[in-house]
Amino acid sequence: MPQMPKRVKYRKSQRGKIRGNATRGNTVSYGDFGLQVTEAGWLSAEVIEAARVTAAQFVRGEGRLYIRVFPHKSITAIPAETRMGKGKGEPEYWAAVVKPGMVLFELSGLQEAAARECLARVSYKLPYRCRFVTRNS
Amino acid sequence: MADKVTLSTKAREKKGSRDAAQLRKKGFVPVVVYGHKETPEHLYAKTDEVSSIIRHRVRNLELETAGKKQPVLVQSVQYDFLNRDVIHVDFRRVYADERIHATVPIQVKGIARGTMTGGVLDHPLHSLHIDCLASAVPEAIIVKVDDLLLGQVIHVRELHLPEGVKALGDLDAVVVQVKSQSAEVIVTTPLVGEGAVEPEVITAKKKVEEEE
Repeated sequence: MPQMPKRVKYRKSQRGKIRGNATRGNTVSYGDFGLQVTEAGWLSAEVIEAARVTAAQFVRGEGRLYIRVFPHKSITAIPAETRMGKGKGEPEYWAAVVKPGMVLFELSGLQEAAARECLARVSYKLPYRCRFVTRNS
Repeated sequence: MADKVTLSTKAREKKGSRDAAQLRKKGFVPVVVYGHKETPEHLYAKTDEVSSIIRHRVRNLELETAGKKQPVLVQSVQYDFLNRDVIHVDFRRVYADERIHATVPIQVKGIARGTMTGGVLDHPLHSLHIDCLASAVPEAIIVKVDDLLLGQVIHVRELHLPEGVKALGDLDAVVVQVKSQSAEVIVTTPLVGEGAVEPEVITAKKKVEEEE
């Protein structure tokens, strides 16, 4: 099941703008290898879950996967063929706001070739360009 | 690197982020030198030379500014948002016989025997805080894990450190261990129960109270 917050202060949030690059969370901190996003945008909880499943199937107990993003933002939508007005739509899904440079996933306990293969498969699930990074790079 | 590396630098006329950005565009990196209770010096050096020093993990070097040389230590390095380009370096003035505190990376060498029998190599500590001579800061602490069996652990106190190097901090911290696969759990942030469709709204109760 996709992730979402347990409790929130408000059900709906404004869209906001994604300005600048990541100044935190842009290094490999827990594992040995990571997947760094180079574009900004929203990463839905479904996408994060799909990526997690892909990585978990590849790793299968040999290594350890760290997920560095969490979908904190509720995204609302209005049903199709609805007349204008009547207020803001209902929450449709949850998303994480990502900035260029953020490390989304990390792996440890794997050789570099295996980690590259695993994170390449994960990146196919993501809607943004990513790059493979290591702790020493 | 056996010989002492020398980095030629020039004094910065202006300080601040805008001038630093202009310097970077021209192919230079702003650097600063401080320590020994002397006035900090704001300098700049060629990007290629600085990047080469950082890439080769040179710790001790000499800074040459207007014909004057001073021994320094690389204190901290700042990278851009993608961790690719060096954007600023802090150098610290040191004497060769001075004892300093430094953080050095821990490198794991070899393939643990425990991993052949179904174990997973866990490497929770990636860097070590040490006390050593300024002239002899090790490039990295190497940990050989070839003989490590399933369930065995290497702590900080069991590390083979170079002569004159003392480990600081928690000596019982685990550096490397071989865990069984079954104990290995994929770490994710906790998921919400299946029954919950929407999260609890903290401010919802307040509205009810206001209506009353």
